[in-house]
Formats: sequence, C-alpha cells, structure tokens
Amino acid sequence: MMRFTKFLKVEVDVVVARNAFIPDNKSSKEYLENVAIAFMQEEFAKVNGFKENDVIKITSKGRSVNLKVKISDIAHEKGILIPNGIYASYLTSFDGFKRFKAEIELADGEITKPEEIIEKLKG
Amino acid sequence: MAITPMEIYKLLPKTNCKKCGEQTCMSFAFKLVNRERKLEECTPLFEEEKYARQREKLIEYLKPLEEATETGLIVKEELCVGCGNCVVVCPVHVEKDPYGCGSGLAPKTDKLILKVENGVVHVLDMDMCRRYGKNRVLCVVCRENCPTDAISFLEG
Amino acid sequence: MSGNTEYYTCAGCSCLCDDIEIDLDGENAKTVKTACRRGSNIFLEYKENRAEPAIEGRKVEFEEAIKKAQELIEKSKSLAIYGMDTIPIEAQKVAIELAEGKEAYIDNSSSYCLGDFVEMVLKKELPTATFDDVKDYAYVIFYWGVDPHNSLPRHMSRYTYYPRGKKRQRGYEEDRYLVVADIRKSHTAMLVAKNARFIQVDDDLKLVDAFIKVIDKQMPEKYADDAVRVIREMQKADFNVIMGGLGLRYGLKGNYEKFKEMINKMNEVAKVYFIPAGCHANMRGFNEVLFEKTGFVNKYSFKDGESSLDYAFFELLKNDKVDTTLIIGSDPVNSLPFEISKKLAKINTIVVDPRKSFTTQIAKVVIPSAISGVEQGGTMIRSDGVRVKVNSLFEREINDVYVLERLKEVVA
Ligand code: SF4
Ligand code: SF4
Ligand code: SF4
Ligand code: SF4
Repeated sequence: MMRFTKFLKVEVDVVVARNAFIPDNKSSKEYLENVAIAFMQEEFAKVNGFKENDVIKITSKGRSVNLKVKISDIAHEKGILIPNGIYASYLTSFDGFKRFKAEIELADGEITKPEEIIEKLKG
Repeated sequence: MAITPMEIYKLLPKTNCKKCGEQTCMSFAFKLVNRERKLEECTPLFEEEKYARQREKLIEYLKPLEEATETGLIVKEELCVGCGNCVVVCPVHVEKDPYGCGSGLAPKTDKLILKVENGVVHVLDMDMCRRYGKNRVLCVVCRENCPTDAISFLEG
Repeated sequence: MSGNTEYYTCAGCSCLCDDIEIDLDGENAKTVKTACRRGSNIFLEYKENRAEPAIEGRKVEFEEAIKKAQELIEKSKSLAIYGMDTIPIEAQKVAIELAEGKEAYIDNSSSYCLGDFVEMVLKKELPTATFDDVKDYAYVIFYWGVDPHNSLPRHMSRYTYYPRGKKRQRGYEEDRYLVVADIRKSHTAMLVAKNARFIQVDDDLKLVDAFIKVIDKQMPEKYADDAVRVIREMQKADFNVIMGGLGLRYGLKGNYEKFKEMINKMNEVAKVYFIPAGCHANMRGFNEVLFEKTGFVNKYSFKDGESSLDYAFFELLKNDKVDTTLIIGSDPVNSLPFEISKKLAKINTIVVDPRKSFTTQIAKVVIPSAISGVEQGGTMIRSDGVRVKVNSLFEREINDVYVLERLKEVVA
C-alpha cells in the first residue's frame, strides 16, 4: 500500500549523540546495526507517518543518507537523533556540528552503506 | 511488560468453580503470578472449547514467566550497556560488598545477585534478592536505575 | 577477587576504568569482568578488524609503509599531526617532538570537543576536583550537555552519583542530588527521579544567565524555578560538581566569560567544582602534555609558536593549508564533516592505527600499531586530570611509541 507520506518531506531538527551500543570495530555487524539509525519519539513518528523499521531519507545541504527508524524517547520532540558516526558526519557541516536542520521522507531504497560514502569521499 | 493478576483474571473463566483448588479465579490469578500454580490447573480452561481463545491469549501472556528468575526479575542482555548502575545500587550488594560493588568498583566477592560480564549484566544468585524468600520486599532499585529497560519485573 | 587479582585498564573512554578482570584462553580474552559493553568489546574482539600496512590501498611490508611515511613527511612543506586521543602520553610526547622538528601543526579532537574547558581548568580559571573527591564528598552532581550513560558508561556508577563514599554513605537517594541539563530526554535524564532534577534546555546561555540572576536576586527570563532549586540544593553541601560536555560547549557559543562568571557567582554562595566530561580516553593527556611544553592545549603551530583557530585541524584542511597529514589513533572520517574528510582523500594522509577505520580506507599510507590497554600500556590522563597507569593485557614491540620514534628519524 502506498502511504501518503511518501510524497511528504518534513523539516526537522537533527541532534547527534553518542551511543553506548556502538563498538570500536567498524566492520562489525553491531556497528552498522547501531549507527545506521534515526531515533524518533512515538508521537512524532505517528504525526508524520513513520513507523519502526521504516527506511527514511535524510537530506541536509544537498547530501542524503537512508537510515532506519527506531522509536525511542531519547529523541527530542520535534526531530530525530542520529548516533555519532559516519552518517551524521556525512550530513553535517561545521556551522551545525552536533545539531542541524534536515528534511526527512520515506525512502524507497535500502540503508546507505558506509562504502557508498567512502566512494563519494574518494570521488 | 509487567504481568498483573488483574489482566490474568480477565482471561480466566471467572466462574469461581474451585476446580483449581483456589476459592476464586482472582486468587488463582495471584498464585499464577507468584508461580505457585500452573495455568494447566485451571482444568475448565483447557477442557471447554468456549475458552479456547482466552486460553491461547493467556498462554501467550504468561510466556515471560518461564524465562524469569525466581524473583520475577528479567534481564534482557541485548538492552544492557554494562554501565553497572544496577550492580552498584543493589542494597544487598552494598551490604555484602561495601568496598567493591558498593563503592562502584569491581566486586570483591562472588556472592552477588548481579554481575557485569563481557559487557552485559548476568544473574548470579537470585536467592539473595530481597524480592525472594519469607521477608521479601518489593525492591525495584536495580530496575529504576537502568535507563535502557534491560531489567524488568514480572509484576511491574 | 582475592587480594592478588590482576586488574587491567580499559582505554575505551576517559573513565579509564582500572578494575577490569580478564580470564585468558591463550591469547584470547575469554571473560571480561566489570567493563561496560564498549570496554569489554575492545578486549574480546581485539584481534578483529586489524589494520595492515598499506600504501595506496595495496598491502605492503611494515618496513615499506614506514619508509613511505618517512618519505612523505620528509618532503612535506606543511604537515599537520592529528589525533592521539587514544594513545598514551609517552607516545603523544614523541608526536609532539616530531611536530616540533618539522615545524608542523599539531592538534587533537579537543579543538572541536572540550579543549577550551580543559584549558580553563589548567589555567585555573575554573575550580576543579578529582573523582575520588566527588565520590567521597559531592552532593549536587550536575551533568550539563552530556549523556554519560552512552558516552562514559561507568561514569555515574564508578565515580559520581551511585557509589558510596566517605561522607556519602547513605546512597544516591539521600546523599546526592542529580541534575541533568540537556536538549532532550537522554538516557541519563531518565535516571532523574527522587531528589533530582531534569532541565530541558534549548538555550544554554539562558540557563547560565538564570543562575547568575538568581544569585544576584534578580528575575531571570527563563529557567527561574530550575536555577532557584539547584542553587538551594548546592547550598546544602560543601561540595558540588558540574560536569560539562559537548552540548554545553556548543550551547555556550563561545561565551566562556559568562560561564566563568556563573561558576564564580555560584562559589560566592556555595562550593562548586567543574570537570570536563569528554569521551576520548586520553584527549586530556594530549592537552596537558602540549600545555606543559607550549602553554597551549591544542591547535598549535610550531612554525608560528602559537595556537590559533586557524591551526585547528579542520580549519587547516578547509583552507587547504597542509599537503600532508599524520593521523594517529583517530578516525576523522567517522567524526568530522564530509567537506573536511574529502580533503583528506586528496592530500598525503598517513594513518597510524591498530584498527581498520574509515580513514584508513582513504589513506595513502597505513601503519598498524597497538591497541591501548590491550597491547600497549603507558600513562593516560583521566577526564578529571588524574594520571592513570595503564596496565595492559600484553605489551607489543610495535606500538605507538615505536612507530612514532621511527617516523621521528626524519627530523633527527
Ligand atoms: S479452576 Fe479456573 S475457573 Fe475454576 S476457580 Fe480456578 S481459575 Fe477459576
Ligand atoms: S530487586 Fe533489589 S535486591 Fe533484588 S537485585 Fe534488584 S536491587 Fe538487588
Ligand atoms: S542492566 Fe541496565 S543498569 Fe544494569 S548494567 Fe545493564 S544497562 Fe546498566
Ligand atoms: S566506562 Fe569507559 S573506561 Fe570504563 S569500561 Fe567502559 S569504555 Fe572502558
């Protein structure tokens, strides 16, 4: 079923924070499972038509990544929380290092792989 | 999620037929939570077809009971970050190991209820928990200080 | 457990827990006791994901990688050395000597993290305390812009809120008062229960202002109730502590004078100490070692003999000021903005790291080294300034001191 929100972009505040589940080993399954996440509160998700495990596209200053939605109270009310790591760094710039604005929408694709970002770095 | 006698009661036959050996369905529900009775002892629930749906629901609802420790404490390792809050705050630990756990340091004894090993909390000896035995109290200190809900209790 | 248990040190974060028991099975850690999830993982999986010597993505002999790095450093006209947050001060000192010999720039993550706070503490502009004292005496435990449950997992259980101490025998509910100030309800904020307060701040400067105004008996614009309550609690004890993190650092937007004024004011009516709550194991160590030598904590240029924002690693990259960079024990691609990392892929990037990282994937030269706490010991400085002797599981010959001494041959 096609959801209406598919066409909707929502402007949100993004907060970047550390997460205790992220291990030092960046090739591990745990790293990816815990870093490729966008946390949001239940109410926020409901209002904007997202649910747990949805893949969303987050765009800031022309750069986008796809992350998985996880419902959690640790996010603030009006936006999403992304753990410290390569995805957050890809989206940020120095004028909004740990807190910035972005647009989010439901995505068609898969979660962005770190290798895709590395390729862009090299390119 | 907590398992409450009220929720159990709602799904029982509510006929107070006493076949389980209890005076009322409600008291049977209480005993179920404390694991002094087994659901199978409510024979009507299993024998009469009209209760089939309730029976299924109850079995599902009571599942965590089997995974829980004697005191109803459930540890979900996948949610634990190994911060040690629960180990340090447990009043039994403070009493038995004041200079180890009670002071925030590595335990100086193995006679403990909870212990962090390989980064997650493990249950060592539930018999020492204040929720157990004759003079039990409804202690919830460990759970209250776990912000990721890695510890829960059956009874809430 | 018994008197002769050997305790190892975890260098997973700036808590530097030195009470870790490890059962070994040959060279593998079988059971790691008391360390948190992140810390345990470092020991349990130390053999995985290891860096290999490489030049432009091609695997080479260790010696070849060293030679190549020496060559790049030798011919560099403008070199920046960066990272060092996870290596012992003995190795940091060698890196600083190399920077001095090459008249290079040197910086660590503290220039965008908590370096400014560490500097204020070292210059005695902020009164500070050690965790041992916090444990024994502190009443108000105030986390401002930091979520220790995630970034410093054992901070609260080992050093601050939960453990019992000399004058704090009755446990956290009676003997401590927890304050958490954050823009969101972090896991740490969820611990706020009885005798505690959560302040949801969207403007840290206004909260600073509220404390100042309340002490001056004026009406603040915002957070009046919070400020009144916290000050009243602080007055109940002769020892209180504020631990400030990245949220506070960015929230202040550079208005450090205002923050110092607030701490001074607080100390007119109560006793309040400040401890920076940064994450990296030995970030503060680098700050202190550089400070001893130059009087500055970070973003330093040996050529110019001074520290400046222009010499911050990210500014140097942004403005194309360096041709070569030596990154030690740090993964800037993981933590710095894309525009900055992109530059790293273009210049001569040399990475010294025990593990594969995102930065090793774009580096010209990769030199493997040893994992602190597992394969190399030494000294590190905890976030409260206490020097910790790192008792590591093993000692490897090829460690950061060795690698950096080899690279330093260039300037010998
Ligand atoms: S046997 Fe079942 S229906 Fe009868 S009293 Fe016991 S619980 Fe109620
Ligand atoms: S319930 Fe109380 S006594 Fe039992 S483990 Fe938890 S804190 Fe300790
Ligand atoms: S169960 Fe909770 S409080 Fe205990 S160590 Fe794990 S995360 Fe910490
Ligand atoms: S809190 Fe930090 S130093 Fe202590 S065990 Fe965890 S990662 Fe290691």
